Amino acid sequence: MQEQFLADKAFEPFLAKLIAAGPVVGPVGKRSQFVFAPLRSPAEARLDYDVTILPPKKLFFPPAQDLVRFDGDKVEGCIEPVAMVVFGVHPYDVKALDMTDLLFKERNEDRNYLAHREAATLVAMTPQKASSRAFWGSIGTGVEPKGHDALLTKVPGGWIYEARTPKGTALLKHGDFASATKEQSSAARKAGLDAGRKCSANLKHPAAAVAHRMKTVFKDEKLWNGLAEDCFSCGSCNTVCPTCYCFDVQDRWNLDQKSGTRTRYWDACLAEDFSKVTLGANASENFRETKGERFRHRFMRKASYLNEKLGGPACVGCGRCSAACTADIADPVRVIDTIMGRPS
Amino acid sequence: MAKAKVAFFDFACCEGCQIEMTNFGDAAFLELLNHIDIVEFREAISEKTTEPIDVALVEGSFTREADRARLEEIRRRAKIVIAFGQCACTAGINALKNHQKDYKECVYGKDAKMPHLDSAQAQPISAVIKVDYSAYGCPVNKYEVLQIVSHLLHGKAPVVPNHPVCVECKRRETVCRYHEGDHCLGVVARAGCGAPCPASGIPCEACRGFVDQPNETALKKVLKEKGGLSERRAEEKTLMFTANQRGATTAKHPEKSPALAAPQGGRS
Ligand code: SF4
Ligand code: SF4
Repeated sequence: MQEQFLADKAFEPFLAKLIAAGPVVGPVGKRSQFVFAPLRSPAEARLDYDVTILPPKKLFFPPAQDLVRFDGDKVEGCIEPVAMVVFGVHPYDVKALDMTDLLFKERNEDRNYLAHREAATLVAMTPQKASSRAFWGSIGTGVEPKGHDALLTKVPGGWIYEARTPKGTALLKHGDFASATKEQSSAARKAGLDAGRKCSANLKHPAAAVAHRMKTVFKDEKLWNGLAEDCFSCGSCNTVCPTCYCFDVQDRWNLDQKSGTRTRYWDACLAEDFSKVTLGANASENFRETKGERFRHRFMRKASYLNEKLGGPACVGCGRCSAACTADIADPVRVIDTIMGRPS
Repeated sequence: MAKAKVAFFDFACCEGCQIEMTNFGDAAFLELLNHIDIVEFREAISEKTTEPIDVALVEGSFTREADRARLEEIRRRAKIVIAFGQCACTAGINALKNHQKDYKECVYGKDAKMPHLDSAQAQPISAVIKVDYSAYGCPVNKYEVLQIVSHLLHGKAPVVPNHPVCVECKRRETVCRYHEGDHCLGVVARAGCGAPCPASGIPCEACRGFVDQPNETALKKVLKEKGGLSERRAEEKTLMFTANQRGATTAKHPEKSPALAAPQGGRS
């Protein structure tokens, strides 16, 4: 479809109409950082954000998600999707959603995720800034983001809106769009291509070489224990990651002790109890007992195990883990550099 | 099924954890009373019991040899013992005195010699009796206590988190204290509180104690390098609620679950 141009002065009215038409979630400021939150007015949107604390995954697979409500023997599912527009998603986060879309569709369809995901219209946006830990310009470069319904790019004097699906096209009616000129379109394309250069961190090694090396150093205990020495097993690296998708399921009873809710919570493979399993009456076993093993597991998942299934690494280079790690040991660029620089 | 008999007992503590339960208010409590019989609860009723009990919620730490017999007697009568609140779980802030010599003079001045002020090291009740489950926190999280009791009523092992507070901060997108030039103990502190303090811009003090395997060396390092604390403050910072847990990888929270609960042994 022909790209559309929206002049700067027409942008606010467009966003205002979108907000009036239904829930719109976009990046807003939170103290010194950014989060995706429902927009009450266009002025709240911080489209100049660098990265959000949590990825937009939380909108479809929230940190705590009710699965089932029960009352005695009566059980009902809690899939109540809300049709919303998710506005201003950076392409690395779209790529991550492509991964969770695929992983939650595999084998058993996870309706709790998919129903929310399908109800949403995803308006992606070419990043105007990159966080200091981002390296999305240099990872998974062969994989194109594809799950968005439209792509918005800032160009001189306005914005280019490229609808990719009927859902994306449907939003055009809310704004005063005009067909983009050749110059405007090529400015948008150039901005898209140049965006990756905003990242100050870069992964120098091709994904296939990294995936291969990961397997050869798997048994190098000294390496992994060394890398994980300062690890708190806090799971922050997992919790903020857009491609992590593990969860734990718990039941909670209401006061009447008859009704209650079955809820799933984000889990984290770096946390000690993640790999603790029962061996029957009063016995348990932890199959990844040391922090080194748990640290290794995350890197195997991000840089090796899922590559074939996903067509590239299960890391999109958002840099959230690097920033979230208080011990500052979780940065994939540094860890991969260490591993690649190690004699095999 | 007969209603489960539940009793609260207190040792060295402020009884704030019992008070916290009364904060549920009438409606919630009366509903709960359809399912349990509260037979002893000093902060709310005057009745006492010498009968067998299903669940004993024991608040406070063990600081006097004279309390041993009473603790043992509670254990004998109770099917399940829950260490109720941080004083009972790890000796909480009472354990601060374990590392001090002049605390009596400091607090009581010329009255420091009063005989009833004599007490031994503050210890968790698990130093004397077997504890089946722990309700951590200073004070306890009343919603968590309710879930622990609910799980027991349904014959399930209660689930108590063993991951750091960081998880809960990240889940609610709290800007990390360390990102604002502050310090925080959340990296080693047991979660389950929902992380309200960092969300209000206040560092976590680890009022639920440490996780089972706290990385104390790395903690000191980040308190100094990122939190800007001096060597001494970095050392002392963690003492407030975890004085008894320092330097020792802490005892795992108890896993044996008797009678009322069908043990699941699942992860917590
Ligand atoms: S591993 Fe780190 S950089 Fe990669 S996607 Fe996850 S949070 Fe982002
Ligand atoms: S965020 Fe850092 S300290 Fe926490 S579990 Fe991950 S690697 Fe370990």
